Amino acid sequence: MSTTLKKTIPVAIVFVVALLVMMDYFIVTPPTDAAGKSWTSGAVKDLQNWGIILTAFSLGFGAVNLFYFHSKHISRRTPDQWFFSLWLLIVIVIFTAVGVFTGPTSTSYNWIYNASYFALSATVYSSLGFYMTSGLYRALRIKNIESAIFMVVGVIVLAKNAPALAVYSPALAAWGSFIENVITTSAQRGIMIGGALGAISLGIRTMTGRETGFLGKLTEEEKGGGTE
Amino acid sequence: MELNLVIQIWLASLFTIWIYSVAFRDNDFFKFAEYTFVGAAAGHSLVYAVDNLRRYGWDQLMGGAYLYIVVFLLGIILYSRYHPQYFWLSRYPLSVMVGIGIGLSMRAVVTAEFIAQIKSTAGIKLVGVTDPIQLFSNIVFIVLVLTTTYFFLFTFPKAHEGGLGVIPRIARYGMMAAFSYSFANTVLSRYNMIFGRLDYIYNQWLPLQGAIIALPIVLILLIYAMLPPEKRPWPKKQ
Amino acid sequence: MSGQGKGIWGYLEDIPREVLYAILLVFFVAPMIYPLGLPVPITANVRKWYATIDALQPGSVVMIDFGYSGGGEPELGPMAVVVYKHLFEKEGVKVICMSTSIEGPQLWDKAMAEINPSRYGAEYGVDYINIGYIAGGETAMAAVGKDLRATTSTDYKGNSLDQYPIMDEIVDASSFDLLICYTTGGDQSEGWVRQWYTVYGTPYMCSVLAMMVPTMLPYMNAGQIISVTSGAQAGEMESLVHAPARGIKSADVITLTHILCLAYVLIGNVAYFVNKSKGEVK
Repeated sequence: MSTTLKKTIPVAIVFVVALLVMMDYFIVTPPTDAAGKSWTSGAVKDLQNWGIILTAFSLGFGAVNLFYFHSKHISRRTPDQWFFSLWLLIVIVIFTAVGVFTGPTSTSYNWIYNASYFALSATVYSSLGFYMTSGLYRALRIKNIESAIFMVVGVIVLAKNAPALAVYSPALAAWGSFIENVITTSAQRGIMIGGALGAISLGIRTMTGRETGFLGKLTEEEKGGGTE
Repeated sequence: MELNLVIQIWLASLFTIWIYSVAFRDNDFFKFAEYTFVGAAAGHSLVYAVDNLRRYGWDQLMGGAYLYIVVFLLGIILYSRYHPQYFWLSRYPLSVMVGIGIGLSMRAVVTAEFIAQIKSTAGIKLVGVTDPIQLFSNIVFIVLVLTTTYFFLFTFPKAHEGGLGVIPRIARYGMMAAFSYSFANTVLSRYNMIFGRLDYIYNQWLPLQGAIIALPIVLILLIYAMLPPEKRPWPKKQ
Repeated sequence: MSGQGKGIWGYLEDIPREVLYAILLVFFVAPMIYPLGLPVPITANVRKWYATIDALQPGSVVMIDFGYSGGGEPELGPMAVVVYKHLFEKEGVKVICMSTSIEGPQLWDKAMAEINPSRYGAEYGVDYINIGYIAGGETAMAAVGKDLRATTSTDYKGNSLDQYPIMDEIVDASSFDLLICYTTGGDQSEGWVRQWYTVYGTPYMCSVLAMMVPTMLPYMNAGQIISVTSGAQAGEMESLVHAPARGIKSADVITLTHILCLAYVLIGNVAYFVNKSKGEVK
């Protein structure tokens, strides 16, 4: 009974919900309404809206985990750490208070967003450009066939991506086009087909309870409940 | 310019410089900026969590869709994962989310990422193509699609050994070229982003009163913060 | 400093990163202070993008997903701005925006401040609207595609959609003539292919980070996406629309920094082979 409640029913829910969503797309099952839409249409519409709300609930996990982790540092006064942790929690509180009480599209909230989060986000993303520079200096070296291909293609594309070089050298544009439209597209297509088959098999395995990763931590009793 | 805008530009620019400083050395200014970023991201998520719940859930509930009480209960139950004894309750709402996700992706992935891709590859002409470059491109395209698919489908060792070993080798070379293209494009992407931030500092912050004087002071403080603690006269390490 | 005592080639094979970064910064800043006005090519994908929007008839409705985060704004922001300008120049074209990114509404406000829609005679609620961030990724895309009005009844500020004439005949994905997505997340761009193009056949174009273009190329090759561009090509679009802005400004910097990258690669390889021939390879 315990395993039924904790494992079997959740897997059954996954199966039923996924099947319902797929049925709505592939087949029209009676009873249908006046417009010819099957009963699954309304059910799936509601499910999708439920999914939005559940995702919204899950957005709070980040903040909860941060509070849990950093409050330990503050209470223990971890050297060189606790004041940063305190500042982090203060920032969470400021953002939440301003956003919830004045609205996420208010002038006040946009001010703190633009002053901090936007600037930080844009800069963190872009700072990787420095490491890319160091990486290309050290990685684009001819040491074997694979690295030679990597270097040659990398050099051609780097040159093509420099706008003025592409204008002055039509051959560069032609080679760049060949690399983009033939080599890269075909290799990515092969990866995509393999990935699609993997996604389909993972979906079927999850629906049939053979893949239980989404359940999180399993107890010994649940592990012995015949997963294979 | 309004004072609040001036302060906003100052803050944004200082954060930008402090984050970039980590490329040279880790320092406390960077840590401060980093923790601000993490806190802001978490706070922003919470704000939109509340907003979405209000707009897509609460408003519907108040409008008469009383079944949404079940959704709200399920959403609250999601947080039972932190309870040592009743963590398994969170699997119920999670199952609904996983089921929806699997259903939505599987219903379309067969068409979009499997059939459409195979159809497109099968439609590539090899006969009747007069342009030799086009013919060569078509042959290379088909060969790379087939070899790359082989590489990922047949993963047992015998499929990669002996005479058959040439197939995954061609696939590896093709993928190397594709990843190199991605790498070069990543450089382009990141450089564009760096330009965006430097342009902001140059055109928005530096023209402000005092910014030109502040910039070298900020840089000197950063260099000082990058020094090993034992070489710094202040603050003293305990 | 590493490389000392190993001669010039030893040093050139292992240049300290601080030196690499410092030179890179000089190459970033110099063309900003002294613009060179270097030429910018216009690629086929950007021309296709431009032609698709240009072919929109009066009464067409476009859905735009502001699916990028603040991190991608320096690259995708200019593209979003110039495309909006192009759409606003088209007579009678309606633009409805939503966000699958949690920062979408803020970035949309930023873009609107840069565009100034009133300059094009565009009025909020009549010619354009923002229905806000909807959590859930592909679930949100599917929900909006199935029944937009059942998914959301307010705009991004919480005002009822019933008061806006632009929403009068909007029901589901079939109400739209074109879908455009700007995103920093590959899942979002692929999600629109799966949930709108595959299910409803909605014509779709996307602008993504340059590093994500390779993953979208198979869709474009198969005809599922009309055109894939990177935000880095915003300058090309600005040239076509005759609205130079942030995109075209980056051209000089990108050219010079990429030439520097090529120099780094050349130096690294030459130093490597020289040291290898001396038996001093690392």
